[in-house]
Amino acid sequence: MLKRTDMAWCPGCGDFPIRDVLEKVLPELSIPMKDIVFTSGIGQAAKMPHYLDVNYMNGLHGRALPLAVGIKLARPDLTVIAYSGDGCNYGEGGNHFIHTIRRRLDITILTSNNQVYGLTKGQSSPTTDPSVKNDLSPAGNENIPLNPIALAITMGAPFVARCFASDRDHMKEIIKEAILFKGTALVDILQPCVTFNKINTYQWLKERVFKIDKPIEDRYEAIKTAELWGDRIPIGVIYRNDAALCREIKKIFRERIREEDIENQLDLRCVMMR
Amino acid sequence: MEFNVLIGGEAGQGLFSVELGLTEILSRLNYYFFATKNYMSRIRGGHNFHMIRISEEPVHALSGRQWDMVIALDEETEGRHRPDLSDDGIYLSRELTKGIEKEARETFQDIRHANTMLVGCVLAVIGVSPDRVTEGAEDETAKYLRTGFDYAHRSSLAGKYPLQLMAGDHCKFDGNQAIALGALLGGCQFMAGYPMTPATSIMHYFSTAALTMPVHFEQAEDEISAINMALGASYAGVRSMVATSGGGFALMQEGVSLSGMTETPVVIVLGQRPGPATGLPTRTEQGELNLVLHAGHGEFPRVIFAPGSIDEAIALARKSFALADRYQIPVFILTDQYFADSIQIMHDDIPKECLSREYPVFDSTYKRYTLTEDGISPLTYPGLSNARVRLDSDEHDEEGKITEDLGLRVRMVDKRLKKFAMLARDFMPPTFYGDRNAASVIVCWGSNKLIVKEALEKIMEDGQSAAALHFGQVYPLTAAMVAPYGLEAKRLICVENNARGQFAGLLKRELGLSVAHPVLKYNGECFTVSELYYILKKLLT
Repeated sequence: MLKRTDMAWCPGCGDFPIRDVLEKVLPELSIPMKDIVFTSGIGQAAKMPHYLDVNYMNGLHGRALPLAVGIKLARPDLTVIAYSGDGCNYGEGGNHFIHTIRRRLDITILTSNNQVYGLTKGQSSPTTDPSVKNDLSPAGNENIPLNPIALAITMGAPFVARCFASDRDHMKEIIKEAILFKGTALVDILQPCVTFNKINTYQWLKERVFKIDKPIEDRYEAIKTAELWGDRIPIGVIYRNDAALCREIKKIFRERIREEDIENQLDLRCVMMR
Repeated sequence: MEFNVLIGGEAGQGLFSVELGLTEILSRLNYYFFATKNYMSRIRGGHNFHMIRISEEPVHALSGRQWDMVIALDEETEGRHRPDLSDDGIYLSRELTKGIEKEARETFQDIRHANTMLVGCVLAVIGVSPDRVTEGAEDETAKYLRTGFDYAHRSSLAGKYPLQLMAGDHCKFDGNQAIALGALLGGCQFMAGYPMTPATSIMHYFSTAALTMPVHFEQAEDEISAINMALGASYAGVRSMVATSGGGFALMQEGVSLSGMTETPVVIVLGQRPGPATGLPTRTEQGELNLVLHAGHGEFPRVIFAPGSIDEAIALARKSFALADRYQIPVFILTDQYFADSIQIMHDDIPKECLSREYPVFDSTYKRYTLTEDGISPLTYPGLSNARVRLDSDEHDEEGKITEDLGLRVRMVDKRLKKFAMLARDFMPPTFYGDRNAASVIVCWGSNKLIVKEALEKIMEDGQSAAALHFGQVYPLTAAMVAPYGLEAKRLICVENNARGQFAGLLKRELGLSVAHPVLKYNGECFTVSELYYILKKLLT
């Protein structure tokens, strides 16, 4: 049995409640635990799969999503969940974030979004608010924050949600829905960093989050809602499109290439044979 | 007897279709031939040229002798290639080819059929009968071929360089086709890639195979993604590969390191072209040996193959997947633009049996990184049983969980590096040509194999004692690989397509062997047989 002190997170870290919720929700999915695979990148959040009873490939910083794509294409029978932080999924892996959505695969992307780089000690992340000061932005962050919700919706992700790490019941419900959703699902989880983010704290978030009662199905309405940040921050399923079709994946796992296949190849176009 | 023809023109004029059409028929008729090309990094315009060598004996390289025929589809061919035409050679000037184009336009209402007419013309020159030329061709194509044939007759060119059909039954491949076929035979069922010359056609062949076979090709958003997708697929249980060139490979390097740390098998094809940076995108070089040797941070074992012939490319590509699985390492196949784009014939029977992964089942006590005597832990894949398969890019314990236990760190490093000892015994020996007693040995690797071989044969025909050694496996290099050849007592000449003698450096570092004479070419073109013959002959005398 894993103790909290075995986990590499600071006391009070928003990743703890997320882990607790995942530990509860995964066995409730009616998916055998053996068929659940996590991928993760690097960062405090990316350690998540180590603390769960799951298969995982904990890869490189920013690359949780291409690993997930490779796994899903090779093994559509597996439930694939990519878990990383905002730096990993939106910064280092930002290009993969865009293009993974385009691939229309049944993958769940969970992002611990604490708006700060935790493991490297407090620098700006892609979602850091404007003007926030830190070691590498002593004069204040001059960049516009990346809006993962709006970006995912405009890229065509059919399931885009946000939840808040301190609202466990709501988080559990949203994550469950995301994993069971057939298609690319993003859940951006507001996860306070108690050590390096002294602005977007539990209290700060608590005062601002409000729940969306039911999934928004109109894309433009959803984008408008996704634009909300600051005084009022929406949580819940911000966009859900059940009509979006997942890509069909051919079964290749344990399907052997046969000699006839090679013969056909030799006769046809791949290799011209005399 | 042999016949060397060059077709020069602008990109977009259909030169490649002449080469493909001609080699297709040459192959059908059982001619020995070799074809390669020199092209610019543009889609229209510029000056490209295709070179086809047809012979009564096996040929696997450019001869480098004067052309027997030069076909000019642009003005530049005149100045660039006519000086290399033999005295009694055939020159189809731009004026003449414009005449052929005019005939195509007037007779067939399409200038493009001039290319098929040129194929017919060349075939007439080497003495193929019109019936044989059109045999098996579609009616339309037969018409164009025959018109080209008639043109050759009218111009008194037919039968000027008659050649016998000596090759017998064979297959024809370009280097990339051979790699793609070898990969399929190795049981590779997943490839991810981002297009980059000269590796793109491997992806093309693979994606075409995916239409009918249980394989998948995914076009990635970049090379970083490509290698990570391949590693994901491999972890999930499917043999996988990537193919790229130097620039794309530079992006993949962290993924190579991930393969090393997580012990995830993957095969990486690197088709070299001249660097640094974008370099000469469509030309050839062997400048990335050092890059591949050192690719990826940290210390972990790897194998690097560099095939020098079509049969070797098929065999090594096939073997790469078995080896990657057996040792749970990245395996590299290092080729170059010259090899990728050259069409050769081969007689050897192609092994048609496809290799496959094994899928052992373990219980919940399974540990992905179990410490074993030989460093190789049992490999299995998620979802096959209640065994959890956990891979970690951090240093990890036997279960695959992140660790900072420094004692364990040492045991894990030792475990990974132990594979070197096994690899030292499990190698592809080099290929030796020539006289065992020769005082000098010409060393080469990768695509120079058959150019060196033919140059060597010419030197030996002159009555000179000579020898050559080709390395199809360039790393690891071990004493056992070269033990039979007594290289320490020989004068070594190393032939490479790079400026700094990278393989000579590796020979020195790994085996303590000093190369007396590096023979280096790095203008973006391959060696020709006569070029090497003259250089080597001088060095050997």
